[in-house]
Amino acid sequence: MPGRIAMKICPNLLSLLSQNVKTVAVTGTNGKTTCSRMIEEAFSEAGLSYFANRSGANLMSGVTTEFVMNCTLSGKMKKKYAVIECDEAAARTVFGQLKPQVIVVTNLFRDQLDRYGEITHTLSNIREGIRSVPEARLCLNADCSLTASLSEDGLPNPILWYGIDGTAGLKAVPSRLSDASHCIRCKAEYEYDYHTYAHLGGFRCPKCGYHRPQPDFAVTEILLMDDRHSEVVLRTPSGETPLTINLPAGYNLYNAVASVCAAEAIGIEQRICIEALGRFSCGFGRMESFPLAGGTRMILVKNPAGCSQALEYLSGIDKEYILVVCLNDRGADGTDISWIWDADFELLGPMSERIRKFYVSGDRADDMRLRLKYAGLPDEKITVEYSPEKLTDALAQETLPVYIMPTYTAMLDLRTVIVHRCGGAEFWE
Amino acid sequence: MELKICHLYPDVLNLYGDGGNIICMQQRLKWRGIQSEVSRVMIGDTLRLSDCDLLFIGGGQDFEQEVLLPDLQSGKDREIIAAIEDGLTVLTICGGYQMLGQYYETYDGVRCDFIGALDLYTVGSKQRMIGNTVCHCTEECGGSTIVGFENHSGKTRLGPGVKPLAHVQVGFGNNGEDKTEGAHYRNVFGSYSHGPLLPKNPAFCDLLLLTALQRRYGDATLEPLDDLAERKAHDAMVQRLTGQR
Repeated sequence: MPGRIAMKICPNLLSLLSQNVKTVAVTGTNGKTTCSRMIEEAFSEAGLSYFANRSGANLMSGVTTEFVMNCTLSGKMKKKYAVIECDEAAARTVFGQLKPQVIVVTNLFRDQLDRYGEITHTLSNIREGIRSVPEARLCLNADCSLTASLSEDGLPNPILWYGIDGTAGLKAVPSRLSDASHCIRCKAEYEYDYHTYAHLGGFRCPKCGYHRPQPDFAVTEILLMDDRHSEVVLRTPSGETPLTINLPAGYNLYNAVASVCAAEAIGIEQRICIEALGRFSCGFGRMESFPLAGGTRMILVKNPAGCSQALEYLSGIDKEYILVVCLNDRGADGTDISWIWDADFELLGPMSERIRKFYVSGDRADDMRLRLKYAGLPDEKITVEYSPEKLTDALAQETLPVYIMPTYTAMLDLRTVIVHRCGGAEFWE
Repeated sequence: MELKICHLYPDVLNLYGDGGNIICMQQRLKWRGIQSEVSRVMIGDTLRLSDCDLLFIGGGQDFEQEVLLPDLQSGKDREIIAAIEDGLTVLTICGGYQMLGQYYETYDGVRCDFIGALDLYTVGSKQRMIGNTVCHCTEECGGSTIVGFENHSGKTRLGPGVKPLAHVQVGFGNNGEDKTEGAHYRNVFGSYSHGPLLPKNPAFCDLLLLTALQRRYGDATLEPLDDLAERKAHDAMVQRLTGQR
């Protein structure tokens, strides 16, 4: 990696290169990549000259590499703007050198505790990162009590809040667990006017009064949600506007409204961002489509909150399909796979008639099979195919639509095989 | 037959899939035609263990454990101690396991008193003990091999009043030094194994269920289940970690 070598020679290289680049940085547990891609789409629609990093390269070395790749030999940046996804643990050190104009924090959920440690630890990493850039504008998720608490320390940064109002009536997943049931300030139990998913929603602390901030940008009404896209009403400081998001699932409403918020913060006309969202396609395993079997969609899953959201989406699909779960336990996935027991696979129980077949794959396929069995799904409908090649061979024989939920490294492996099988060029590269 | 399970602090002690132990117990009872009922006892709720057959306490993050200590010490502690002495079947994991002990001393020497139901104590260490584990239960605890995943920085030392649940083949166990894992006292089984513990270790799960049923009904038996999927997942980890089948 050129970034790693360059950093050895010049440890503050990123801060030198980033000086004249206007950057939007996106961090948080879930939705970083999708949200960054949405912001990119708005940049592209606005005709800005920009570059961006990819999810696998969101640590200091990867971010530096991206800047090195986009500068001339004399160290002058070729582009004026950047959209940089930043790992939430790396935010502490990256933000100070990156000096972003805008920072988006999507949310905070428990995620790979073997790697990140406790959730409050991640929160303080992000807080420290923000402290190093007091002039950056923040776009914060008002519905996440952990994210919203970033504003509680008298940060000088201007803040734009975004969220989903209770009036939207987003169907909440009845979650068995919350990553933030008790007040981050005084430890009393939160009360909720409504939940959107996991611990997100209209929270307030009955004891100390800490509560969901009033968002500047909010989804106020859901007009339509199907398995391909959503149509909503968005409240903005300049009034209400309809918004079509060319990506399904409730959690993508958050990514969309966050991107509108970020576009505003960096100075892109709202109309332009809204048009971009209507055409948006994400790719790289995030609701990405492939011409395999009767149409295949891949939904990356990494942690219980994201996985339960994907399951909520799948449980609402009104036709027969095949479900594939690929579970790896390598470094980037988290070596502890116990989180699959925190995700609500039980949501699939009432739908099990519609799911004609299950495939489990990956290094920990046997564990995944067990999880499905204990969620009450019929074991005889489950096929184990450990390798991505054999799995793809099997799927190629199917005629029904296929939904694949892979963990990160399982997604990388399987995606390569499927893209090759479909004869498609790797558009991402 | 039916079994009453009490899940203590399910909303706060809910780390690393520990709730999967409840799912596992309930399903293995259901597949045998045995009903079960889970009562979820939260902070502020009254804990009554007199009509409970099995108590489960999972692990939590530090922030969450701080939230509940005052609640635990305002009466629930005495209820738990009395029930344990009376032979209640208890499964408790990681943070919950530590809390049944005498105390926790942080790495920099601050001591936090726990409920003292078990003769053990825990001292914080600098390094976290993280990874997959393979342990062998003592004969008293059924003698089965258990696979799990541990993630703790506390080192637990057992006093003479308790025995280890298992001996470590791969991993750290209680403290990474004496090769013990977990603790066993009367019908209490404490362990550092997440994973969650029970689904991949059906023999150990059935031991708990049988212990609880026998206490309630005197003479109870459990019919065997088709554990092919469980055995495969169990054996795959044993083989990966030890190279043995």
